[in-house]
Formats: sequence, structure tokens, C-alpha cells
Amino acid sequence: MTPSPLAPEPGTREPDAPRDTDNAAREASSIELLGLHKRFGKDTVALDGVDLTIRAGEFFTLLGPSGCGKTTLLRILAGLEEPDSGSLKIGGLDITDTPPHKRSVNTVFQSYALFPHLSVRDNLAFGLRMLGLPAAEREARVARIAEFIQLNDLVDRKVDQLSGGQRQRIALARALVCEPDVLLLDEPLSALDAGLRSQLQVELLRVQKRLGMTFVFVTHDQQEAMVMSDRIAVLDSGNIQQVGPPREVYERPVNAFVARFMGHDNLFPITRRAEGGWLTTELGDLRCDGEGAGDLLLIRPETLDLLPGEQPGENRLLATVGERLYRGSHAEYRLDIGQTSLQATVNNRGRHLPEVGERITVTVAADDLVTLGK
Amino acid sequence: MKKRTLRRGLTAIWWLILIFLYLPLAVVVLFSFNSANSAASFTGVSLRWYKRLMGNEEILSALSNSLILAIVSSAVALVIGCLIGYGMYRHRHRKLGWLIVLIYLPIVLPDIVFGISEMAFFVQIHRMTGLLQPGLGTMIIAHVTFQIPFVALIVYSRFVGLDPTLFEAAKDLYASPAQRAFHFMLPTIKPALISAFFLSFTLSVDDFVISFFTAGPDSATLPIYIWGAIKKGVSPEINAIATLMIGAVTIAAILSLLFSHRRQP
Amino acid sequence: MAYSGVRPTTRSRAMVSETRHLLFTVAPGAVWIVIFLVLPSAYLMSVAFMSTGIYGLPELPLSLESFRRLAGFGFLGWSPGNIYTLLRSLWQTLVSTALVMVVAYPIAYYITTCRERWRPIMLLLVVVPSWTNQVIRTFGWMNLLAPGTPLANLAELVGFIPPNMGLYPSNFAVTLGLVYNFLPFMVLPLYAAFEKLDTAQVQAAQDLYASPVRAFWHAVFPQTLPGLLAGTVLVAIPAFGMYVIPELLGGGKGMMLGNLVANQFAGSANWPLGAAGAILMLIATFIGLFAMRRIGKRLGGGEEVVI
Repeated sequence: MTPSPLAPEPGTREPDAPRDTDNAAREASSIELLGLHKRFGKDTVALDGVDLTIRAGEFFTLLGPSGCGKTTLLRILAGLEEPDSGSLKIGGLDITDTPPHKRSVNTVFQSYALFPHLSVRDNLAFGLRMLGLPAAEREARVARIAEFIQLNDLVDRKVDQLSGGQRQRIALARALVCEPDVLLLDEPLSALDAGLRSQLQVELLRVQKRLGMTFVFVTHDQQEAMVMSDRIAVLDSGNIQQVGPPREVYERPVNAFVARFMGHDNLFPITRRAEGGWLTTELGDLRCDGEGAGDLLLIRPETLDLLPGEQPGENRLLATVGERLYRGSHAEYRLDIGQTSLQATVNNRGRHLPEVGERITVTVAADDLVTLGK
Repeated sequence: MKKRTLRRGLTAIWWLILIFLYLPLAVVVLFSFNSANSAASFTGVSLRWYKRLMGNEEILSALSNSLILAIVSSAVALVIGCLIGYGMYRHRHRKLGWLIVLIYLPIVLPDIVFGISEMAFFVQIHRMTGLLQPGLGTMIIAHVTFQIPFVALIVYSRFVGLDPTLFEAAKDLYASPAQRAFHFMLPTIKPALISAFFLSFTLSVDDFVISFFTAGPDSATLPIYIWGAIKKGVSPEINAIATLMIGAVTIAAILSLLFSHRRQP
Repeated sequence: MAYSGVRPTTRSRAMVSETRHLLFTVAPGAVWIVIFLVLPSAYLMSVAFMSTGIYGLPELPLSLESFRRLAGFGFLGWSPGNIYTLLRSLWQTLVSTALVMVVAYPIAYYITTCRERWRPIMLLLVVVPSWTNQVIRTFGWMNLLAPGTPLANLAELVGFIPPNMGLYPSNFAVTLGLVYNFLPFMVLPLYAAFEKLDTAQVQAAQDLYASPVRAFWHAVFPQTLPGLLAGTVLVAIPAFGMYVIPELLGGGKGMMLGNLVANQFAGSANWPLGAAGAILMLIATFIGLFAMRRIGKRLGGGEEVVI
């Protein structure tokens, strides 16, 4: 293990530095949520019994549409909201009743929430000052974090002289400098434009990997969630729908909500099942490997191959090209099969890309098909 | 063109109104330097009225009463009003209609009703208990009462203009409730507090009616002294005190304005 | 479930601490205002229903004598003095409010047509005089209107006043003083209304109506109504209860309700009579505020119109 880059240089290290071994740090930063319930007012259920374990050192993402409860969950972790029932442990310690200023948790807020009355330097040092660290150590730590996040030239500015991207990085640095057990990020990139956003995604990921700190990240953008996360929890109406690594959540969604939220449109109700994994949908009969207990068939557009002309066979469907969107690296198709239609994505490898109106054959491998519940 | 005529007309009205607005003050300032004891003719520049002020015990005591009254009442109103302003902000999602009514009451009540209510009340309390003898104390109480709403509203609007997540950021960054008050809230609203103090000060110095009815025999303030002097018969000394007051209030008000405009985004 | 984390007390505990917080922050000021303003006002109102005792102080038994006196019924039968004072207050309020409107309207408009950089300074110029003590400002007018001053001489020359009389004390001087005093109160809300003016509507109106007068009447004026209304309340309510200006500029024949009330607590003491007059003023105040809320809501600017 490499030592934390935020740790003092060897030799300058204080005997009681908060993070003496990486193992201890990792132990300290796992999160356990048990039966969390939260209501606002009489009718709005924000969390409806959430059980969740987040491992130490993990980049964990809470993903869902607005109003799904992800922000409430994050705020409960920060201590800014109290759950109606349930408990919350960090590093095995129950902190359900601990007020926010006594939790070793820091947050990067969506609006950044930089203090307007303080300079960048004083913003960075705010948490350390509240913790009562001596001035010399505060300065040293602020200097280290400024170096680490590469904002040395910004520390003497005023907050209102910063651009959006700079504010975002200051907010991140201000939270990291306190070396919390857990860092919470509430849609920290949503206010930035696309280019800056992907640049900061990479930067954030790099920071997390180097520090080995537990990050809990909230977003409504499934692309961002997949890029960043070790694991994703998909939430809807106060319930966790699925928890897993990005590939699992994307490729094996457990229900229609997760599938749709991850961007899948090709969902077809299964009308009949037969021996050998044969399923009947309005597309026709298809064979699906693996256990298939669900009511819906998911066909991912990128698992489809298009063959010219009519070439019937197992897991082959005859279709007419209804629409083609040429995207350069790939093309997106709407294929009409009987009364229904199917989305397909085909990589552009310089081969023939079927034209609108062309009759073609669609093939799909049996182990690429997924069935899922409603 | 018609449009240009209209604009010229408006410009002319504007300058006429400015003259109208400043003429009475200009006359007071001008005649404070008059060497003659006359309000009708200006005979030459002199500082004799100002010199006369310096030797006038009554005026000096009125001046000190005015300053004590303005400073003490503004300070008390600042603390109380700041607390209310924060409470209104923090609990703005609750039903606070009763509080709003209470806070607007000192603003909407006609001065004269305000003044005589307090006077009648203080006199009665004094007769029954011996407390609240009319004097500087009762005047301070009365002034604080009409200053509180202004402080509260200024502080409230400053808080409303802040990003609410700043409060959460302070909690998140390990600030205890006391640290939040002294390291985050007070520094953040400092410009509003300074501006509220100056406004309270100006309101206090500017007030006559309420002071007049709550004052005791020894607590005459400058406006009360001036009032008495006018009633007794015009003396050019009044022009000199009045000029000093115009200067002081204008400076205080401009300071207040400067601070209220130095708000951070 | 195995966990023991059900916390039914959380919500009520949070509510209790929030309520305590609310009380801690709001109570000092609220209690202050209740003790030193609400109670005194309530006491004053009760005084109006008492009888007049020695030195004019209130006494039991309860009586409506004070209201009879206010209407002019005294020991020597009915005299119209108080009724005149009341009517004069109403008249002065009406006239000065109307005049303030007429003067403030073009001024507020003119400021919005000037460069944006200048507007705050121009507004400041209008407001600055009102920062000076009312007594001093009124004293300034006394200086200006006294016999022998250029203004008085001019008025004499035109035949407006008899020789060597000066322009004050008079009802005219009171009106002038009121207009002077309240002008900024009308300019500010009107300026706010003009600044929000929807210029697209004005342009559309200019296209639709041939004459600029009609364009103004249909497109501009209705949009400035909320500002005009706010200004009216800000001017009319305090004007009706004005004390200083009629006292200094009005003389005996220029007395207004404020002077009538104040006199009952000073020289010719009669607290119940003064309190009855104060009740009249309070009623006028609340009618004004209520009317503004009602009309303001109908005009769709209700909330921001409030001071």
C-alpha cells in the first residue's frame, strides 16, 4: 500500500496523526445502514426501509431519478437529516444520533457552499480550525491539499473570483483536507458543462483511488455512475432496487425500472415459456440461457448483429429497417418486426450498414438475453 | 420633436424638484453662517452662532443625551433584532404570521399614537410601581421598540439571500453551534449588521415625536431642544445645531448605504 | 428485524428542540414589542373608554364621554372645533397625497429614463433630505416662508397674501410641508413600478393606438398602479396623523388630528379625549393597510407592495 498522499512527509509526522495505518483507516470507513425510514410531512416517503452496506475504500454511487431518496440518504449519512427509524454505522460505530459536526464525514455540496466571507485559503482551513488544530498544522495541511488538487495559484483569491470548475475543486479540497472517514458528494459535477465535467470525473476518480477513501457519490446520470463507481445502488421511490458493480447493473438489471433507468428500451413481455429456455414474445421465439424467472425480456441494442437479407435460424429474427441514425463510430437502428420494433446499435467497422427499408436478419446470442421482473 | 420637448420638460421638473427638496436645508445651513441675527437677510459670513453653541450647557447636554440614546438603543436593538431576524429565517417554513404582524406593528403605527401610548403606559407604571420614570431610560426603551423591526428585516433579508447549504457546510465542517454563530453566521452578515446599526442610529437621531412624548424633564435630546427653541422664538443658534445634525445624519446614512451595498454575491 | 434502531422519539425530540430554538431567538424581541408597544396601545385604547378625572387623567367608571367630546359636545354645548380639525386632517391628507402623486409621477418616470449608472444616485438625491430630522426640515420652511423672505415678498406682490404677513402659519404652509415631507415615500415605490415596466407592452400599445396619450393610459398607467397604491398608503397614513408640521407651520387654524390628540396629553390634559382621537387614527391606519392589501392582491402585486 502506498501511504496516503495527504499524510505528512515521513519525519514530520505527528505521533497521533489520525490515519496511522491504512488498514485501520479502511476499517474505520465502512458504512452500514439498517432499516432507514424517512418521511417528510405526512405523505412524502423519502426512504422506505433502506438496508445497505458500503465497503471501506469503495467509490459507491447512489443513482436514481430526482425524488428517489438518494439525496435524503446522503444527508442522513452527513447528519444533516435525522432518520425516523433505522440505524447508521460508520466503521462499526453507531452514529445515528451523532450531530453532523461530530461525524468524521465531509460533504461536497451541489452548490459548493463556499463561504463568501472567507478567502479560498480560509475556506480550506475552516474545518481544521473548527477542529481546533494549531495554526501551523492547518497551514501545512492546506498547503498539501492545494498541491494535491493543483490549486496552488488559487488559494489567495476571493471566492467570487473563481470559475465554476475552480469552485468545484476548492469544495472538494475543503472536504478532503479534513481527512474524513467518508466523503459524500452530492451531484458535485451537475453544474458544469460537458467538457469540464468529464475532465473532473477523471480527476475525482484518480483522487479517490490514490487516497483509498470511501466516497459516496450521488447522481442522476447513469453514464457518470458507470464511469466512476466501484458499485452502484439504484434507488426508486425510497427503495433500493439493485446494488452491484456497473456492469452487473447495466447488463443484468433486476427489474424494468433499473433497466429503463440504465437506458434500455428493448423490453418485451414474455407471453409463453417452453423447455430449453425458449421464450415467446411479440418479436417471436427466442432461446435464453441461464435462469429466467422474470416476466420481461431485455435485449441490449449492442448485442444485436444485423445480417443482410433473410437468413432464418435459431435466435434470428427477420426485420425491416425502419430508421437509421448514423453516428460515425456507430449507427442506431429502429428495426420493425411485425407490429413491434427493436432498437439496435451497430459498430461502424466499415462494413455495409443496412439502409432504411432494407429487409435484414437480426441475430442475438442466447447468453446475451436477460429476463427480469417487472 | 415632441419627444424631445417632453424630455426637456421632465429635466426641468427634475431640477425644480431638487431645488424644492434642498432649499429648506440650504437655507438652514446658509443662515447658520449669517453674521446678523436675522432670518430674512444675509449680511456676512461668521461663525458666531457655532461659538455660541459651545458655551451652551443645555445644548451640550442635549447633544450627549442624543448620542447616548442613539448608541445605546441601536446596540440593544441590534442584538434583539438580529436574534429575531435569524429566528424568522431559520423558521421561515413555519407559520409565523403572528410574528410578522408583531414586527410590522411599530412600523405601521402612526408616530403620535406610538408616542402617546408609551407615555401613558410609562406614566401609569411609574405611578403604580415607581419604575420607568420618564427620562433617558424610557426613551431608550421606546427607540429600541421602533428600531427592532428594521434590524430584524435587514438581518432576515441578508440570511434569505444566502445559499442555505452554507449552514449545512458549516455543520459538516465540524463547527459546533457556538462556532457556527461566531465563525460563520456573524461574519457573513457583518455588513448587514453594520448597516442595520447605522440605520438604527439614523432613525433614533431623526425621531422627534416619540422622543418628545417619552422624555423626562432632564433628558431633552437635540431635536427636543430645537423644538423648544423654535417654540420660544427663532434663534440663529438653531440653524447652527441643525446644520451640524444635517451633516452628521448625512454621513451616518451614507456609511449605512455603503455597507449595505458591499454585499457579497 | 434484529436491529433495535426504531426511534419513535426522534421526530418529537427534534420538534421540541426546534420550538425551543424558535422561542430563544424570537422571544426577546417579541416580548419586548408586546410589553412596550402592544400593552401600551391596548392601555391607550382602554383609556378612551374611561372618564376624565383630576388633571385630565383617566378614571373609572367606564364612559363614552370622550367620544362625545371628540364629536364636539362639551360643557358649553356643541362646538364645531373638533369636527373642523377632523375634516381639515382628511382634507390635508387628500390634497397633499394627490399633490405628491402629481409631482412624484414624472420624477419617478424621469429617473428610469436616465442612464442606469445615474439612477441610484438620483434616487439618493431624492431621499437624502428625509434623513434629516423632521423638525429641522420644517424649521427650514419656516425660514423660507417667514415675512420678508423673497418667497413671501413674491407672494405679496402677486396678491396671494396681505402685506407683511408671511406665508406661514397657514393651511397652505401645512400642505407644502406635507408634500415636501412625503415626496420620497411616493417616488421610491413608483420608481420600482416604472423600472419593472414591460416595455414590450408599451411598444405594442404604441403600434395599436395612434396617440401617445392613449398608449400611456392603456399600457403604462395600469402597470404603475401597484407602485402608486403603495405610495398612497405610505403617504396618506402618516400624513393623517401628522403632528410636527401642522404644529409649526399651521398655527391655531391649521391644527390637525395629531395636534388635537397630542394636546390632550400635554397642555390641556384630557387623556380619554386624546385616546379617543388616537383610536380614530388607528382605525384610519388599519383601513388604509387593509384596503391596500385587498386592492394590491387584485392588481397582482400584493406581496411586494407591502413596505
